Amino acid sequence: MNENRRQILEMLAGGKITADEAERLLAALDPAPTAVPEFTGTTSNGAPVRTRAKYLRVLVEADESMTGVKGQTTVNVRVPMQLLRAGVRLASLIPAQAHNQLDEAFNRKGIPITLSQIKPENLEELIDHLEDVTVDVDGRDGNMTKVKVFCE
Amino acid sequence: MTPNFAVVQIEMPHWRTFRLWLPLFLLWIPLILLSPIILIVVVAVCLVGRVSPLRALGAFWAITCSLPGTEVTVHTDGNHVRVKIL
Repeated sequence: MNENRRQILEMLAGGKITADEAERLLAALDPAPTAVPEFTGTTSNGAPVRTRAKYLRVLVEADESMTGVKGQTTVNVRVPMQLLRAGVRLASLIPAQAHNQLDEAFNRKGIPITLSQIKPENLEELIDHLEDVTVDVDGRDGNMTKVKVFCE
Repeated sequence: MTPNFAVVQIEMPHWRTFRLWLPLFLLWIPLILLSPIILIVVVAVCLVGRVSPLRALGAFWAITCSLPGTEVTVHTDGNHVRVKIL
């Protein structure tokens, strides 16, 4: 465990700080990056340096007609990129005998994927390129649902 | 780093904000005590599924360690629920 984090937890356990203060201190140790990831500096030769995205953010705004709940509903999910990387490693645990069944199921849904051809390095590449993805979906014909997916 | 706390915050209109800190690190105690049984079960399941137990444990450990930073917020009609893993 990080030494600073341990100290904060010890102070919280010892009653020296409140839970709110501990949360603020822990958040300060791991500051959330700004909403738009992009370029944050330049190299000595003036070339932009790209920061590595830490989180995948999914924002959903739905109105009453979609949810059946009065007023607007907002869902905001932040997933660490590290969790996505760890998640794709699970794909390598799928037993070989299950590959054919999964491939058939994908094909029936019109997704031509052969799982056995996907290697861990492909999945890593996929996650890396996810950092460049921004998805914006706006509802039409009176449907006010909005979905936004981006990395930050 | 494994998750230490989960913070559950609930805000409802006409109610005071309710915030609950769940000490996830305390889960280590039953986990360590039950580790021999868990290990046997995991190895048995992996052998049946023809998966390397080491790779399976590695993948689950990686997922556990990458959980901190996960946050889910739902807001509707004045009600606000937030779950954060630290």
